[in-house]
Amino acid sequence: MAKSNDIGQDDVSQVVILLDVNPYFWGRKSIESGSSGLTFNQFMQSVVLFVNSILLLNNLNEAAVVAFGTRSCRFVFNSKLQGRNDKLHSSPSSRLLKHIDEFLNTEDALPTSMEQTNINESSLLSGALSLALCYIQRTLKSGQPHPQPRVLCLQCKSDAPQQYVAIMNAVFSAQRSMIPIDTCAVGTEHSAFLQQAAHITGGIYMKPSMPEGIFQYLTVVFATDLHSRRFLQLPRPAGVDFRASCFCHKKTIDMGYICSVCLSIFCKKRSSCSTCGANFSQRQPTSIGLKRKSATITLS
Amino acid sequence: MDFRPNNIAVVANAVESFIREFFDQNPLSHLGLITIRNGVAKRITELSGNPEAHIRALRSNMECGGDASLQNALDLAREVLAQIPSYGYREVLIIYSALSTCDPGDIMDTLTKCKGAKIRCSIVGLSAEIYICKLLCEQTGGVYSVALNESHLNDLVFEHAPPPPALAESAIASLVRMGFPERVSEDAVALCACHKQVKVGGCYTCPRCRARVCELPTECNICQLTLVSSPHLARSYHHLFPVPVFEEVLLNLAHSKLPNVCFGCQQDLPIGGSKELGVRVACPKCKQHFCFDCDVYIHESLHNCPGCESLPHESNV
Repeated sequence: MAKSNDIGQDDVSQVVILLDVNPYFWGRKSIESGSSGLTFNQFMQSVVLFVNSILLLNNLNEAAVVAFGTRSCRFVFNSKLQGRNDKLHSSPSSRLLKHIDEFLNTEDALPTSMEQTNINESSLLSGALSLALCYIQRTLKSGQPHPQPRVLCLQCKSDAPQQYVAIMNAVFSAQRSMIPIDTCAVGTEHSAFLQQAAHITGGIYMKPSMPEGIFQYLTVVFATDLHSRRFLQLPRPAGVDFRASCFCHKKTIDMGYICSVCLSIFCKKRSSCSTCGANFSQRQPTSIGLKRKSATITLS
Repeated sequence: MDFRPNNIAVVANAVESFIREFFDQNPLSHLGLITIRNGVAKRITELSGNPEAHIRALRSNMECGGDASLQNALDLAREVLAQIPSYGYREVLIIYSALSTCDPGDIMDTLTKCKGAKIRCSIVGLSAEIYICKLLCEQTGGVYSVALNESHLNDLVFEHAPPPPALAESAIASLVRMGFPERVSEDAVALCACHKQVKVGGCYTCPRCRARVCELPTECNICQLTLVSSPHLARSYHHLFPVPVFEEVLLNLAHSKLPNVCFGCQQDLPIGGSKELGVRVACPKCKQHFCFDCDVYIHESLHNCPGCESLPHESNV
């Protein structure tokens, strides 16, 4: 795709969409709700329409889709690779659907390592975020005038506390590169990690109250480019859940014990730190703060 | 030699970027600003953890003039740092433009007191080396440096952003009880417990006593629980769980089924046989292949291996 300089860069966007295709979520949903509620087909249909609308909004817009399930995550669509791998110049939507199909089939075929004893039902959001950021980094480094990148994360399953550190690492990296992460919790619960991600990177967090109308939410809220957002009344966050997950039981907690040496979080009192091996002395933990320096700058 | 357009503007820029870098590297630390001019040291911000407030105060205090008094500055800094608990680091960073110090008393007394209070003093000078500055830094364990030019000044100031190595006696580990407050809705109106003022939105709720506070990290005024935001803690976790160093894949080996794109950015990778320039690296854990750019990005900024994160998580973090 040719890039021209005379078009304001603010209006050109590169959107990387992270798509949760967790089979446990969608399978359970179809059993529980029967014909009502959002089905996987409707969800996919909305996403395809959304990708098409992004590409139609501006000739230079780029879109990529990363699908993530419970066992792997992979790029399933990339508007830059138009007709390169496919012999036929097929439409973006058919390519996207074809690759999603392939992804679902390979994910089904992956061997279950733990022989059903410990089924890990959480989606691999951290991997998908890392992939998206690596991909965007390439655009940022290309040097030429590049589209404004952003990430849209459509998560269905509830948060996976064991991914907390990895997700936060990715979020801080996005913050440093000024990449907003828009997040949409499609499932039934609010997601603390998605709220934090959007809050830290300056993206939008939303939990649709009526998931069946997801297409409306996607086009009205998440299709707007960064320049237009300044003039719009977008949904305001109804508070941010800053809870963390503890290192010992992977529970999400709002109050906990912190090791003063390595800042590991534990949900119960313990005699030594499992991360850095520090022995906690018997004296009462002091009330304020952690050991960290305090500086005063003096100007003359 | 003066900096352009003038010393104060250059110093203010350096301090502004230092404040941002300092809070990026030490998210739980506090910082306060003091100005010295006309022989008087003046506190322009209290110790707090909000970079924007410091920068605003800095930008509105840009005048200069008169003599500088090192002693007054140190006395005030000592007073400010006295509230820090004994296991905290106390540091003073002075950016000193004057060539003399005009003091009301004996500066050696102040020096001894600083040493006694375990305050580490560092000075970045702008003009020339001064004996008393050097002595002060030596005695208190700080660093004294003099800037040669603008970029050197920035480098010298930035060197003070990473925390100094922990002293053995201060490294007594303790388990501190902390709360992770929830940020309330942007439209909520509530009385904050710290300033006793009505605030609209942007407040945090203490998880134990439900009192409202305006700013994190802080201590709850009602129940004394230490309140932090979990992202503050999470900023340092990549030090605890580093990404393994990627190994270079040699292309002259007869690998027939090497992936031809980088797992991270989907860019083409050099394939065996072709004379294309470029390196291909692989993660020792997940065996995925990456390009050199992704390798740098993953280890310097992301701190996650996309390949390992794309595999089902084991019980460890």
